Amino acid sequence: MAKGVLVDLTKCIGCGSCTVACKLWNDKKFSVEEPTVGPAAIAKLTANNWTVVQHNEIKKDNETVWRFAKKQCLHCQDPACASACFAKALQKTKEGPVIYYPHLCVGCRYCMIACPFNVPKYEWDKAFPLVSKCQMCSTKVDKGEAPACVSVCPAGVFQFGEREKLLQEAKSIIAKDINYVKDIYGEQQAGGTSWLYISDVPFEQLGFRTDLGTVPLSTYSHNFLKYTPVVAVSWGIILTGLYHYTKRRNTISEENKNVKL
Amino acid sequence: MENRSAKPQSVSRRGFLKMLGGAGLAGVAANITGCSTDQAGGKGWMPQQYQVASSWPVQVRGRVPIDPTNPSITRDDKKCILCGQCIEACEKVQTVMGYYELPIKDDITCVNCGQCTLWCPTAAITEVDHTEKVFKALENKDLHVVVQTAPATRVALGEEFGLPAGSVVEGKQVAALKKLGFAGVFDTNFTADLTIMEEGSELVARVTGDLKKPLPQFTSCSPGWVKFCEYYYPDLLEHMSSAKSPQQMMGAVVKSYYAKQKGIDPQKIYSVSIMPCTAKKYECQRPEMNSAGEKIGKPDMMDVDAVLTTRELARMIKKKGIDFTQLADEKYDSMLGEGTGAAVIFGTTGGVMEAAVRSAYFLITKQNPPDALLTLTPVRGLTGVKEAALEIPGVGPVRVAVCSGLSNARKILDEVREDLKAGNPLRYHFIEFMSCPGGCIGGGGQPRTSLPPSDAVRQARLDSLYTMDAKMYKKRLSHENQEVLDIYKNFFEHPMSHLAEELLHTEYTDRGKQLTAKKKA
Repeated sequence: MAKGVLVDLTKCIGCGSCTVACKLWNDKKFSVEEPTVGPAAIAKLTANNWTVVQHNEIKKDNETVWRFAKKQCLHCQDPACASACFAKALQKTKEGPVIYYPHLCVGCRYCMIACPFNVPKYEWDKAFPLVSKCQMCSTKVDKGEAPACVSVCPAGVFQFGEREKLLQEAKSIIAKDINYVKDIYGEQQAGGTSWLYISDVPFEQLGFRTDLGTVPLSTYSHNFLKYTPVVAVSWGIILTGLYHYTKRRNTISEENKNVKL
Repeated sequence: MENRSAKPQSVSRRGFLKMLGGAGLAGVAANITGCSTDQAGGKGWMPQQYQVASSWPVQVRGRVPIDPTNPSITRDDKKCILCGQCIEACEKVQTVMGYYELPIKDDITCVNCGQCTLWCPTAAITEVDHTEKVFKALENKDLHVVVQTAPATRVALGEEFGLPAGSVVEGKQVAALKKLGFAGVFDTNFTADLTIMEEGSELVARVTGDLKKPLPQFTSCSPGWVKFCEYYYPDLLEHMSSAKSPQQMMGAVVKSYYAKQKGIDPQKIYSVSIMPCTAKKYECQRPEMNSAGEKIGKPDMMDVDAVLTTRELARMIKKKGIDFTQLADEKYDSMLGEGTGAAVIFGTTGGVMEAAVRSAYFLITKQNPPDALLTLTPVRGLTGVKEAALEIPGVGPVRVAVCSGLSNARKILDEVREDLKAGNPLRYHFIEFMSCPGGCIGGGGQPRTSLPPSDAVRQARLDSLYTMDAKMYKKRLSHENQEVLDIYKNFFEHPMSHLAEELLHTEYTDRGKQLTAKKKA
């Protein structure tokens, strides 16, 4: 069964432990120019930052409140990046993570354009750059362990487990507590994601895209791209037929000429 | 043209197959030796650090949140190993983290005490460095740069230079500061004595009923403790003495009294303080800490301009290549440089209480206290909560409590709160609170001599302060400090005068709305 993570944004205290755990586990560079905690304008996903915690000041019931939003790859159920990748460098595993194989990547960066969440980043500062994005610590997830960021959280923001169960859990939490907005981010967005979020403030105020619809982005192109093999094969057959037809016609006309002479 | 006319090189079938085979072999070899077919990620040091790769170690426990705009402490993510020692300090020792409901409101709750900087094994968490700012001020010829040193730094600074814990380096510290170029080197002990006069008078006024404020009175010199009370016990702020901390009294006095006496424009004075404390960095920029400026219509002028921890001072001394241990002792500058034994014990838990009792006895009876009150054993030592009852003629028994470390403060505060609610008889008249375990000697800005901070080091520093009080200082009573008597004669007139209220007293902010307090973590 596919794993997922449920993020309860109301519990985040903004310590950034998750962002450090990510770097320690994945050997990502620390850089003063690329902070992992701060306002969205400063703390951005980059090739070195697979996850960041963004600080938001939000008006709620006429009071200003601070809310933190952890951002990373959401690991779509039906990832647009993987569907855009013709080299199969991005693959959705049955355990949930969408993982990237550097040795397969040709560097076309279609995945960066395809991703609706603007997650894959490019190592622009390297001589031989690769695409770079959160792997959901898939080597850990394969063993049934939580990703590094999830297991280090001191505030109890995350739950790791079967996505279906987490969805039920999320539904029961937001049903019981009136403080939560009645929406689970990631349940439907772009066909659903492995990471699910619940919050007490509207998601668009936390920098989440809410205009994505519920259809997996890959289906839009799949509707016509699925005919590619059919078209290719039948076009081949038609052309081969035409070739033989014209060849035979020429032969007959040659023969007819010879007869006349 | 030549090429085209040249005979094309022919490739034999055998040659072509050989070439293909060779390229294939090279590809396979490259794959086996170098080019990985692994997925990205998972190659950091953490799996190796904790031996069993890919199993999550129990000792990796995250860290405390620190606001990037925190005036006291900062953290270098590069050094953080997520060991959770800061949580240990913040939640277990100081009962701050985890003692508020989630979601948070509009603040990252921090009392700025800096205990986490003492516990952090990699020094990822440190004080916000102000040494460059102070070096710049010292180079600025237009500025008259003065400095004050807290009681507790003189028994700890030496540790940064290899001396044993608790070494008394009062004279060397003064010499080093003069070498660094400070125009006036003053002693926070002076304003500690001044604090005793103000806070002691306030206590007497509360006890006699002249001041309509409730008992018990709480001490107010530890800014971490003050903020803690504002966060978690705002209903008890009436009990907090209105007297400023010695640092802020010195700040206000330097830019008013000292400036006047010396004929210096207070706006040209740059006031630095050397503190064992990170919360003092926060205290000096509290908006109300501008009394001297307020007085002359320049509210932007803060009383204290920069606060350096003991560690930062050590760094400055090292940077300038001063051989600290070889310095000859020097004396504090006059006017604001005299301190008594009662002031120097401010640096340890129980010290403020003992000093206050000595002078309160005098203020009530007009006689100096008996010898028993000069060695108030029940309030000495590193025990978290201490109590004592004293007989003061004319008042009867005065019951006092002393606690250090905010987890201990909680115990007393909960009792006070319950007593008030139940209408119980008064349990204590006066309670001393210190944010850090052991008081200022164990402050968050002190040298990281043992890690995590140990009672052995705290005890050594504590013993030194009491030795200084008993053996090294000539006077042991705040009300006998000649410079304090002078400032009252020349400037303030008497304790709690109108001018003293303006410059030496303050008010507090209810921070209860910035969090939802919780009883247990």
